[in-house]
Amino acid sequence: MIPYSAAIRIRNERSHRTQRWIIPFWLAGLLLLPVALLLLPLIFLVSAIARINPFPILHAFWQIFVALKGTVVEVDDPHCFVSVEVS
Amino acid sequence: MHENRRQILEMLATGKITADEAERLISAVEKEPSNGASQPNGSDPQPGPKTKPKYVRVVVDDNGKGTGATKVNIRVPMQLLRSGVKLAALIPKAAQEHVNDALHEHGVQLDLSQIKPENLEELVDQLDELTVDVDDKDVKVRIFCE
Repeated sequence: MIPYSAAIRIRNERSHRTQRWIIPFWLAGLLLLPVALLLLPLIFLVSAIARINPFPILHAFWQIFVALKGTVVEVDDPHCFVSVEVS
Repeated sequence: MHENRRQILEMLATGKITADEAERLISAVEKEPSNGASQPNGSDPQPGPKTKPKYVRVVVDDNGKGTGATKVNIRVPMQLLRSGVKLAALIPKAAQEHVNDALHEHGVQLDLSQIKPENLEELVDQLDELTVDVDDKDVKVRIFCE
């Protein structure tokens, strides 16, 4: 199961208001797709020069992305509060 | 088991134990297999096979000297650890030598080339029982699996 979105909550001392963002990964993926397509030939070129098989590495990164589902990071400080939840 | 929970909650209400201690006691009571004494109607299910924990939790509670309390709560899926160690296993040989040298310089006698993905998998599996409690005057740190 791939993660669908990241929910970010930020509250700082000045505004006292909690800002919430929900970032859908499909949208982030769509926006980053052109960058990825541009970088792909470069990755393969560097891999060929360094004699490294890029596929296991890409697969490992994909596995890391998939495994992110359920990750929660919360920091609650008197000055600010930050929460990131991947679901 | 309900009686034990009630006793723990009463102890918490009367201030004999802290919330952290109560949490630990309740989790210990929940983990405890039924000894046959606490099943009056015998309807409770038999303890099934132990479920594998899915997450590693890191909870830091810093009282902070005059700066206010800071709380950190991190939940990392076990699958993420597995994927991370798989990525670590892909470190090229040349880089491994550099890492080994750096580790040796800092007194860590670890040879990365000897670490195989299956060993790492076993290592992550053994984290199930991991519990680290650091109870300092100002900072409390708890690392456990759930």
